[in-house]
Order: sequence, then structure tokens, then C-alpha cells
Amino acid sequence: MNQTSDIKPHTTAMLVGPAAALMFGVFVLPFLFLLVLSFWSQVPGSLQFDTHFTVLNYARIFGDSYYLGGLWTTLWLSGLVTVICLILAMPLARWIVLRAGPAKGLLIGLSILPLVCGALLPTLGLVNLLSPLGFINGALKSLGLIQSSLPLLGNITGVAIGLVQAFLPLMILPLITTMERLPQDYEKAAMSLGARRLVVWQRIILPLLLPGIVAGSLLVFCASLTAFVTPQVLGQGKVVTFASLAYQQAALVLDWPFASALAIVMLIFLGLAGMLGALVTRKFGKAS
Amino acid sequence: MKSRFSDAMTFAVVLAILIFILAPILVLIFSAFDGGNIFRFPPRTYSLRWFEAAFNHPEYRSSLWISTLLGVIATVIAVSLASLAAFGLVRGRPRYRFAVEVLLLAPLTLPLVVWAIALLSIYAELGMNGTLTGLILAHVTITLPFAARIMIATLNEIDPRLEAAAKSLGATPAQVLRRITLPLARPGLLSSSAIAFLVSFNDVVVTTLIAGAGWITFPVRTFSRLRTEGIDPTTIAIGAMIVAFTLLLILVGQRLFQLSRRF
Repeated sequence: MNQTSDIKPHTTAMLVGPAAALMFGVFVLPFLFLLVLSFWSQVPGSLQFDTHFTVLNYARIFGDSYYLGGLWTTLWLSGLVTVICLILAMPLARWIVLRAGPAKGLLIGLSILPLVCGALLPTLGLVNLLSPLGFINGALKSLGLIQSSLPLLGNITGVAIGLVQAFLPLMILPLITTMERLPQDYEKAAMSLGARRLVVWQRIILPLLLPGIVAGSLLVFCASLTAFVTPQVLGQGKVVTFASLAYQQAALVLDWPFASALAIVMLIFLGLAGMLGALVTRKFGKAS
Repeated sequence: MKSRFSDAMTFAVVLAILIFILAPILVLIFSAFDGGNIFRFPPRTYSLRWFEAAFNHPEYRSSLWISTLLGVIATVIAVSLASLAAFGLVRGRPRYRFAVEVLLLAPLTLPLVVWAIALLSIYAELGMNGTLTGLILAHVTITLPFAARIMIATLNEIDPRLEAAAKSLGATPAQVLRRITLPLARPGLLSSSAIAFLVSFNDVVVTTLIAGAGWITFPVRTFSRLRTEGIDPTTIAIGAMIVAFTLLLILVGQRLFQLSRRF
């Protein structure tokens, strides 16, 4: 008899079935419906759908500089947030894995805090820190570093700060997982053979960390691209991101076919980002 | 090779990044104790008046109650389903294990706002918009992946030989489950319940789209008030209690059952 599977196949299916059915029915099917819905239209003045096939929703997105501008802003903002998260998460994750010792678990626990606090509450704290009369401007003024308040709220800077704070855990966790698997001897061996620090990083550490870097970057990029609570609160309605446009259409305008088309466009860009990530991993991952 | 100076520099950088992650949460907690009429940090006068106001505010009270109820129901269902599935996948090792794991963990990587827009339209077609059932289904869906991930990691760590040994000594399957598997899986069950509850309780992205007028959770109420009236100190007081509770749960969970180990 098979030594590990001590439960019968049909018992397994019964155990796995409910969760799998729920996720398929409630999570996967809606995505398919979304695709169909994006080619429908709304009967004006009602919540009924006109089920005739149309590409008008997509034509509206790609023919209007308002939506294209929002898309462009969101794309470069997400890219910027991803890069900043990577720069900040790298030393933190490395320190937690190599140096933190017994404090490791606690530090991981604290780093995931923004993830379980939801999108809204930490953002409220940030509003206070970043506002013209807030803590950061106050501190800088009393130190004599600035004369008038820096505009940190209601613009792209504030939104970027908020997104980095909210999504840093998504970069930290995969990096920690990859770093834990990384044998430390490699680094020491290369150093003892006379390789310089930069060369060790370039030839040994980065290629080995690449899966974690790619996974973290994709998670942060995806989360930033589709965030709407943080941009809305910290941008104070002045920063138009793609997801907030989709949210407005779905929750306030109630044009669901158009909201679906906006959502599908987001998914396409996420798919492209995923393909880019796979490409980078294949090209550089096993180079060493 | 490594100087004490560069060690200190690294530590300073790491500390600064940690402060950046935690600052907004700590600011929220401290400024709730301010006696003034606006949201400010550092507080100038200390008072508990906004906490009192929060507890006397009927809308906030009902929202907190709804959030708690929804969080508890979603957690119980999600952790039960996820644990059964994880047990089946880890012990049964079916050929479809990888595919099902991808399916169960999908909401962790796919954008929830996109999904919520779809769900909103489907619920409208089915007449389920604004119903408690619809809301519970959605919350189970967003919390189940967290529970599944933790439970799969937990069960992977339990040596199946312990179960086999109990069985060979004459224990019935029910006894094996109650005496061996469940006690060993308890840290994982507690971790996944804590995380699932927090994710459900604090969710605003999905809930703000599909919650109708009848079931307004605390984050949804805060978000909608924020858009219309800005931030008021009552919101801050409740927000502070929630983040303080979240922080406490993570710290206690870490101490008692290494919450972050399987995350």
C-alpha cells in the first residue's frame, strides 16, 4: 500500500470538493462573466444589460485621453512603487533572515501588519503624517529645513508613499522565503576565493534571489495597479488612477459593462507584467 | 572585513524602514487620545472623549457589530473548508493537488477589485445585492486563501508517522484525529483563524462594492464618510481601537503560536 496516502481517493475528493467548488463558483466564474459583460452595454437609465455584442466600451477607453491618461499614470506609478518597495525590502528582508536571531518571527509579524490592517486604517494615519500641518511638515519646519509646507497630500507623491507603505509586506515575504533557502556558504565561498562584494552580489546573490524578486515585484505591481482606496484617500480625488475610475463606474455611475471593460484592461496589463516576469526569470535566473 | 560602523549603518536603515511601515498605525493610535476637535499628531491634550463619542454613536456601533458578526461567520466557514481541503491535499496527495492549490490560493494574487466588480453585476442579476448571504460568500472567498495557505503549511509539517503509529496501536480514525492531528494542528488553526478574521474585519475593497445599505461594515462606513465629510475624530478613535486590536492579536499570536512562521 502507498505509505503516505492513508485516505481513500473519494474521501480526498470529498474533503477538497467544497473549498474547490466555492473558489471555482464564486471566484473563477465571475472573471469569465466579466469578460462577457465587457462586450455588453447598459440600457440607459436602468440597471438592465443590453446583451448585443459591442466593442464600444473598449473604444471609449482607448479613444478618450481622460482614461488613457489615468492608465498611463497608474502604470508608471505602479512601476515606481514596485522599484521603491524592492529597494526598501531588500535590506530589511536580508537583515531579518541573517541577523535578527530570536526577533525574526516578531519582525515578520510586524512587517505583515499593513497587510492585515486593511487598506483604509493605515492610510488614515498617513493622512495625518503627510498633511500640510502634519507631523512630517511640522518636524521639518521646527528643524529649520523647510520654510513652507511640502505638498505631500493630494498629489502623486502622497499616493506613492501610501502604496509603498501598504504593499511593502508583499515584497518582504517572498524575499524572506527565497533568502531562507539560499545557502550562506555560497557567499562565503565566493568571498574567500577573492571575489569582491559587488561581484558576489551580481553573480551569486541576485541570480539566486531572482525568483523571490520577480514574485514580490509582480505582487506589488498587481496590488498598486488595482488599488483604489489609498489613491482616493491620499490623492484626495486629485490623482486619477485606473482602478479608481473602475470603482467609480461600478459603485457610483453603475455602468457595469463599462466598469467590466476597465477591469479587463487592468487584467490584460497584469497578464503582460506576469509574462515579463516569466521572461526575466528564464533569461537571468539560471545564468550563474 | 565587516566593520562595526557598517553594521550600525545597516541597523539604522533597517530600523528606519520598520518605522516607516509602523508609523501610520502608531500615529493613528496616539492621536485618538487627543482632546481637540481635529485629527492631530502629536496629541496636545489627552482625553478619552472621542472614545466615548464613538461608543455612543449608533451608526458606528451597528457597523462594528456587523463587522464582527461577518468576520466571525466568514472565519468559521473559511477555516473549516480550508482545513478539510488542506487535509485532503496533504494526506491524500491526489494527482490534482497542484491545480487545486493554485485554485485555492488564486485570490491572493488576482486583483480583488476586478473580481468584486464582476460579483456586483452577478449579484444584481441574481437579486443577491446587499444580502448577508452574498456578503458572507464574498468574505469566505477572500479569507479562505489565507487559511488554506497556513493550513497546508501546518499539515505538511506534521509527521504522518505519528498518525500511523497511533493507528497501529489501535486508535480509531476519530481518536487519531482528536488526540494526534488536531492538537498538532492547533497553532495553525489559531493562526489561520486570527489572520482570516483580521482580513475579513478590515476589508474595504470588496465590501464597499457589494455591501448594500443594510449591512455596512465599519471600514465601509468610514470610507464613505471620508469621501463626503472628511476625517472626524470619532472615526479616528474607532480606527485606533481596531489597529491596536490588530497589533495586539499579531503580537499575542506570535508569542503563543508563532503566527508568522507559516505565513
